[in-house]
Amino acid sequence: MKKERSKKYRALQSLRIIIQVFFFSLFLYLLFKTHFTGQDYIGPVETFFHFDPLLAIATAIASRVLFASFILAAITLVITLVAGRYVCGWICPLGSVHQFFSFVFKKSKLLKPRKEEKSAGRLAWKYYILAVVLVGSLFTVDLVGIADPLSFLYRSFVTGVIPWFARAGAAFISLLYGLKLSSAGDAAAQFFGTLSLNQTFQQGFFLSLLFLGAVLLNISKERFWCRYLCPAGALLGLFSRWNVAKVRVDMDKCIKCNLCTLHCQTQANPYPNEQWRSSECVYCYTCASICPTKAVYFPVKRTPEKIASINLSRRRLIFTSALAIVAAPFFKITPAGKRAAAKLIRPPGALPEPKFLQKCVKCSECMKACPTNALQPALDEAGPEGIWTPVLKPRIGYCEYYCSLCTQVCPTGAIKELTVEEKTKVKIGSAWINKDRCIPYALGRPCIVCEEHCPTSPKAIKFVMVETKLPDGTSASQKAPVIDLDLCIGCGICENKCPVMDDPAIYCTSVGEDRSEKNRLLLETIQPAVLTEEPKDPYR
Amino acid sequence: MYRRDFMKDLALGGVLLRYGPSLLAQTKPNPDMAMVTGESPAAITKEALLALGGMKRFVSKGDKVMIKPNIGWDRTPELAATTNPEVIRTLVELSFEAGAKEVTVMDNTTNQAQRCYARSGIAEAAKAAGAKVPFVNEYRLKKMALKGEWLKEWEVFTDFVETDKLINVPIAKHHSLCRLTIGMKNWLGAIGGPRNQLHQRLDEGMVDLAAFFKPQLTVLDAYRILTRNGPQGGRTSDVRLQKTVVASIDPVAADTVAAGFFEIRPEELAYLGFAQKRGLGQTNLEKLTIEKRAV
Repeated sequence: MKKERSKKYRALQSLRIIIQVFFFSLFLYLLFKTHFTGQDYIGPVETFFHFDPLLAIATAIASRVLFASFILAAITLVITLVAGRYVCGWICPLGSVHQFFSFVFKKSKLLKPRKEEKSAGRLAWKYYILAVVLVGSLFTVDLVGIADPLSFLYRSFVTGVIPWFARAGAAFISLLYGLKLSSAGDAAAQFFGTLSLNQTFQQGFFLSLLFLGAVLLNISKERFWCRYLCPAGALLGLFSRWNVAKVRVDMDKCIKCNLCTLHCQTQANPYPNEQWRSSECVYCYTCASICPTKAVYFPVKRTPEKIASINLSRRRLIFTSALAIVAAPFFKITPAGKRAAAKLIRPPGALPEPKFLQKCVKCSECMKACPTNALQPALDEAGPEGIWTPVLKPRIGYCEYYCSLCTQVCPTGAIKELTVEEKTKVKIGSAWINKDRCIPYALGRPCIVCEEHCPTSPKAIKFVMVETKLPDGTSASQKAPVIDLDLCIGCGICENKCPVMDDPAIYCTSVGEDRSEKNRLLLETIQPAVLTEEPKDPYR
Repeated sequence: MYRRDFMKDLALGGVLLRYGPSLLAQTKPNPDMAMVTGESPAAITKEALLALGGMKRFVSKGDKVMIKPNIGWDRTPELAATTNPEVIRTLVELSFEAGAKEVTVMDNTTNQAQRCYARSGIAEAAKAAGAKVPFVNEYRLKKMALKGEWLKEWEVFTDFVETDKLINVPIAKHHSLCRLTIGMKNWLGAIGGPRNQLHQRLDEGMVDLAAFFKPQLTVLDAYRILTRNGPQGGRTSDVRLQKTVVASIDPVAADTVAAGFFEIRPEELAYLGFAQKRGLGQTNLEKLTIEKRAV
């Protein structure tokens, strides 16, 4: 038998790699573009998400509303239905990450492919994960954001990889200055300045570790995530049973070397051919290009035929679905819904809390767009369901007055899109003064930095003259801040800029936020989110 | 020295002494301050510099020039929270015409720098005229001895120190704590560190900074002035059109003139008193030669 690899399939494999690089670069480009670039409106940088049918279906089930942009996910479904899981193998940027590292680990002999009849059962895991996610959605517990590949990838990059890059860049810059290469240092510093990368995230270390873990799993099995864990891959797998592209092995040429099955990225098992798993194949063409005798090929068959598929145990499927049903109420055992949480300041335009939790897919796009790094992934602020949802932390950043970027980049409408004009009128919380720590009140010294920074006109922070008793028995008279809650929008710049560093003497809580009908304070201040007319004489 | 040379020098000196002063008197001495009003911010800036004796008086061939506007806030020029971009553009152009090798425009902003630079219109205008408009770079911060009365040392962006010529271009605005923020307060944008702590003795702090930076020229942008809700404003009703640009070699006098636009007497502003006492300049405008023009 003449040994020669197929030129056609090697070319197709190269094409696939080029396309993967293209889409991963596109992902990076759109992600790095997600910040203030000089324009108030930044365009559809979140488009990748709208092609994800899992996010479309799960958020539609959880929120009982279909978000119009997700119509694009139908394209992915149609491609999969007709041709198979090309999207997983050729486009998905997380898939490309995993495949790249699998390749690296293989080359460095960390990953040694073995015959793996034993682990075939694990392929079913992802279908059970999908079942849990979808059943959870039915009970309005939005788990999809935790497991969806795009949410996972974006979240990991925004809160882990990019901050790492920014901080590594800072170390590099300081090295340049240390070496007296100050003009190179200046250039590098200006370059990083124009990228405006947020580099401070609570849980950033932990979220980075999760991503690192997902990458390192590739040492155990090639494309571990894609094979065993990815619920979006599972969903596409369900749609990939009747497609027209099939793997065939020409038994006249086959020398039964088993290379195709050994190097199959997703354990789709091209050989023996009758055990090929259509639902698992991502059409990477590794089998066809690695075959030493050109025996493996992909003919187009119009007629659907019976194909071996994953043996989903009905008992397990019912069990995992039941698990989700049983688990769903656990997520609700939390005081989060009982009372509004003081420190749960949501971005402007965020839907009322229950709706927000059903729609937010924890993708961190808003945290990338935020110009001041104010939006942070929640830990326990919003209860167990709300983990990694965005929460505004005034001590880290504040809500920039003329900015509505977070509302523009939200892929699911959990944050309603607002114009800059609309956004300036949205109240996300209220500011409070801790007179025991406020410099004029407590120490009788001038300050009112908060008043200076208050962005509204007229200012929500005004000042009054206050008499303070000093330790030596004398007293001092100073301008001290007072808050006009009718005007305060809760942006948090006062807390952010307060010179009392450790525990600011002025701070924001969520009370009075427009999005809630319960978390209100002064009843006479109730008014629609959009002010219709200017207050008559704000200056008295 | 030979006797002959000595006699020659003596004769030359005598002639110069006899006729020199009258020769000088024929060209009017340059004024200390020029105040120009008019419809176009660019035209009045140009005229103010012309009245002061031209940019060549301050900028020599091959100079590195640093222009320090107020770009502190994410606000459009109409809201008068930031220096007028046309004033900056004109100063950049004039500096290059006077032979400057390099002109830089920068400020340590309060809101996100990218937003302030863009919305104020200053980055675009200054770049169009050929200036560099970098963001402040914390690696260029250096703790320096200010030798002030209150501020002994503070972190300063070295860009404002390592330059041949320094031009301060403030805008005149209301401020709750020090009543008005004008030229001397503008130096808070040239430093780093916890600037918000300076508010505990803001008047003394800004005078210490003004004494440290000592600009060759102050160009006060009073085309629009912010009369209330400062230093950010937020509505056009907070703004008054003054249509004036004041160019001055005396930074204290520039602030004094600005205070006049708000009908505030110099003795009402503590920092003007401190500054005069430190010898930084004059609050008594009668002691200066002032050229007033309209375009």
